[in-house]
Amino acid sequence: MKPTIHLSTKSWTRRDVLRACLCGAGAGALNGMPLVFSRALAADATASNRILVVLELSGGNDGLNTLVPHGDDAYYRHRPRIGIRPDKLRRIDERFGFNPGMAGFEGLYKDGRMAVVHGCGYAQPSFSHFTSMAYWHTGAPNSGEETGWVGRLADAIDTQATPNFIVNIDEAQSLAVSARNHVPVVFDDPERFGRKGLYQTRPLLDQVSDATHDANPSRRYLLEVAKSARAASQLVRDAWAKYKTPVDYGIVAVDLPKIASLIAAGMPTRLYYTSYRHNAFDTHVQQPDLHQRLLTYVSDAVAGFMKDLQRIGRADDVVMLVFSEFGRRVPENTSLGTDHGTANHMYLIGKPVKGGHYGTPPKLDALDEGDNLVFTTDFRRVYASVIDGWLGYGDTRKLLSGNFQTFPIFG
Amino acid sequence: MTRCSPVRGFGLAALLLSGFAVNAAEWAGDLTPIGTQDWNAARAAHLLERAGFGGTPEEIALYAAMTPQAAVRRLVYHKTIPNDLPAFDDSGAHDPGLEPFPPSRPAATDLAKKTGESLGVKVKPAGNRRLQPVADRFFYWLRASRLETHRLAYWWANRMLVTRRPLEEKMALFWHGHFATNEEKVRDYRKMLKQLELFQDKGTGSFRELLISVAQDPAMLAFLDAAVNVKGAPNENFAREIMELFTMGVGNYTETDIREAARAFTGWNFVDLNFVISPDKHDSMVKTVLGRSGNFDGVAVIDVILAHPVTAEYIAGKIYRHFVREDISPELRKALGAKLRDANYQIAPLLETIFLSREFYSPASIGTRIKPPVELVVSTYRKMGLKEIPGVPDFNEVTEMLGQILFYPPTVAGWAHGRSWITPGLLLARGNFVYDTVFPDINFLPPDRYPGNDYQIAAVSEKLAMGLDVTTATKPDAKEMTSISMQMADRDEDFNTRLASYRGWQMAIQKVKPIPRATAQLDLAGMVRAAGCRNAQQAVDVLLARFVSVPVEAGTRARIGKFLESELGTGDLSAAGTFLEEPLRSTLHLILSLPEYQLG
Repeated sequence: MKPTIHLSTKSWTRRDVLRACLCGAGAGALNGMPLVFSRALAADATASNRILVVLELSGGNDGLNTLVPHGDDAYYRHRPRIGIRPDKLRRIDERFGFNPGMAGFEGLYKDGRMAVVHGCGYAQPSFSHFTSMAYWHTGAPNSGEETGWVGRLADAIDTQATPNFIVNIDEAQSLAVSARNHVPVVFDDPERFGRKGLYQTRPLLDQVSDATHDANPSRRYLLEVAKSARAASQLVRDAWAKYKTPVDYGIVAVDLPKIASLIAAGMPTRLYYTSYRHNAFDTHVQQPDLHQRLLTYVSDAVAGFMKDLQRIGRADDVVMLVFSEFGRRVPENTSLGTDHGTANHMYLIGKPVKGGHYGTPPKLDALDEGDNLVFTTDFRRVYASVIDGWLGYGDTRKLLSGNFQTFPIFG
Repeated sequence: MTRCSPVRGFGLAALLLSGFAVNAAEWAGDLTPIGTQDWNAARAAHLLERAGFGGTPEEIALYAAMTPQAAVRRLVYHKTIPNDLPAFDDSGAHDPGLEPFPPSRPAATDLAKKTGESLGVKVKPAGNRRLQPVADRFFYWLRASRLETHRLAYWWANRMLVTRRPLEEKMALFWHGHFATNEEKVRDYRKMLKQLELFQDKGTGSFRELLISVAQDPAMLAFLDAAVNVKGAPNENFAREIMELFTMGVGNYTETDIREAARAFTGWNFVDLNFVISPDKHDSMVKTVLGRSGNFDGVAVIDVILAHPVTAEYIAGKIYRHFVREDISPELRKALGAKLRDANYQIAPLLETIFLSREFYSPASIGTRIKPPVELVVSTYRKMGLKEIPGVPDFNEVTEMLGQILFYPPTVAGWAHGRSWITPGLLLARGNFVYDTVFPDINFLPPDRYPGNDYQIAAVSEKLAMGLDVTTATKPDAKEMTSISMQMADRDEDFNTRLASYRGWQMAIQKVKPIPRATAQLDLAGMVRAAGCRNAQQAVDVLLARFVSVPVEAGTRARIGKFLESELGTGDLSAAGTFLEEPLRSTLHLILSLPEYQLG
């Protein structure tokens, strides 16, 4: 059985399973498209196998209760009620320990497959979820940039705008993948990522008008998306139908099995983007139980994904980046929760990663006037490290509109 | 153009082409009212599309026959039109024992451990799983409130479909996205209903009154954690969202303004369905918000915010971008803001200005708006001539799949509009919605009766019926269980969560009334016959005119015509009269799957 994935209130029904079977049966009849594509995939794969998966934790994850600085008394002074006692933590060294729910992260760190970058943030931080997230998406705080850093990255490293180069699993397209030349493949449920239609209507359903010179910009956009849908849906559905894994991703798999299925199928996708949605990490009230549960889900899912990559034989080719739009206020609030804050950890995870600590942990006894951490690492340094060190694109200066020193995270 | 047409000899697409070519290109940005000489059926159709949920040919003809002023006033000042729609038919799933509903399952069972009672249920005196009835009841209410909320969505969607005051529902939907609250956190359909009634009642009235009512609305207070905003420990969440999302937008206030404003709202709370102020939790000292100081309470802070010029511009701009188009010039934003402020924050005059303006009828505004999912679905049903929202496909499943399920906006910012409604996945799903409507799924299972595999309810049910003990029956059947979350799911011996989940569902479906499951009562054959169509191409043209707001390329139109002809085995409709319906449904599926259909 496939792992259950339900971020939304929906989950699978018998009907969905029936549908899936029907779609699978019909797939072979369609124009022989899968064959053509699989040959194209093989050619592309020789160019580069390296894949980046970005996982966003929306809502502002409380980094201090994720990787707890148990060696610092100031932490316990700021958080007398929601601070996690040292004996409960999953200690990784004399300074830090993971939240008790995060066995998966603990294991990945101890195996040397996780780089923790400390104090990531930016100057003049926004405390609005939406604004701050937009800054992280564009990689350009306070600028009005309209494309996302993942989208610009795709435009830079794949000037041919190969179809299916970016996959974004979500209900709506993330700003992070918005590109000038690439049209990202965006879907939520792979089983439903297909067009229903009777045999005789297929040729007409698949027809998309050329819109290059259309005066109506909305129509132009719709036609471009229609083309992307046509190019991707069959591949995605086939990949998902074929994918079977014995790996346990936990209760909320954060769409990672979907990504594993596409990687296993050899999609030409180099950039994947997914998120723990709907501001889930916005823990203003009664934080501890809820936050631990969320972290357990993430940790289980990521650990499962890494294990699955190993099984598929692609562990050497995939790096995952985990981030949130901000951390939370250092002192706890009176509702056993935390309010919007600033600097936070970023995580780079995977076999190619040189594990360990990077950057400087912000001081807990030298907060700014709003009781927040003062960031020590511009988050774009981490983007630059991945872009240059992992994906091999050196001109990060242009891509990120600034000179961001990289970390030696990759071998 | 053919002689046959939806009603009284006009074709919408053709008029769209001809009607706007004259001088309308210069209308962009012009708030001057459109003249009677420029009023026509195509523009009336555009008005009904935006200020309502789309028009049938009959309605378009009705509005086209009025002056533009009369047409707009009929929509905007709708309270004078009688609207005898049935009230929501409550299942009666709530009872006083459920109040106050604990914030989480652990909170519910912990309370029971401490006091011997929770949620109106006592702990069993002895035996195994003494807290089971409490856990069951906790899940009962979660499920019952959710199922009842889905019924509420049906009730609202039916109002959108048949109302004689379409703008009332349209504005309620706008405010639902603006003042977004989600039942998943509120956990009480009654509060969601109360809030919806507020939006319907005050949606075109005074924004000040609306804002104060929302700030004192139990659903909103629950959603933004007002209960924990108390003197000495203000919670910023509420004040932040009021300024950032409800009134001003980012960049117009400081973090200090938020903290100060939060103090003014301290002590605001709700008990069950009522707003209360706890004087002992209210901070009555001096606050300084946006440069003004005083012993502000929440209403006073709202007035300070409303006095700031940016507020009227923010609200007017948002309404404009929702109803007209996404890009708005700074001048237009200022002008509309001034309009709203000068009208003492009355919404109706602003709407009247917008819907009458040449700007609203300029080519840049027409057929460029991507229909939000709820509008897409409801307007499709309206144009199909349905009198009732079909039960198959399920309205909530469809709208959720398309990204806009009522009462469940994704975040406090509501739904992102415009292009974010369209991804490759969502575009295909829009076509699939039409397929599922014209060819109802014979494997359909009602989601308000069948539990899906939420916590494997169905599996637990089957195993219990076969006589397995609770521990065995509720063991998850993952082959290799390594994740912490799976292992930890059931550690408490006082109760079993998976059993509670199953029992909660069972109790909920006994209490909550089922959603009627009629399929769409479509009669496309009758529709084209009534329009006087004689051949296949004419039938296609009638459907295009009735459903699609932007012109479709001649090649596409002809290809669809040929398709219908080949399905019928003849171009002559009279020869195909006895088997017309199904080919027409395939044709309609094709038409409504066009990317162009997403625009309105």
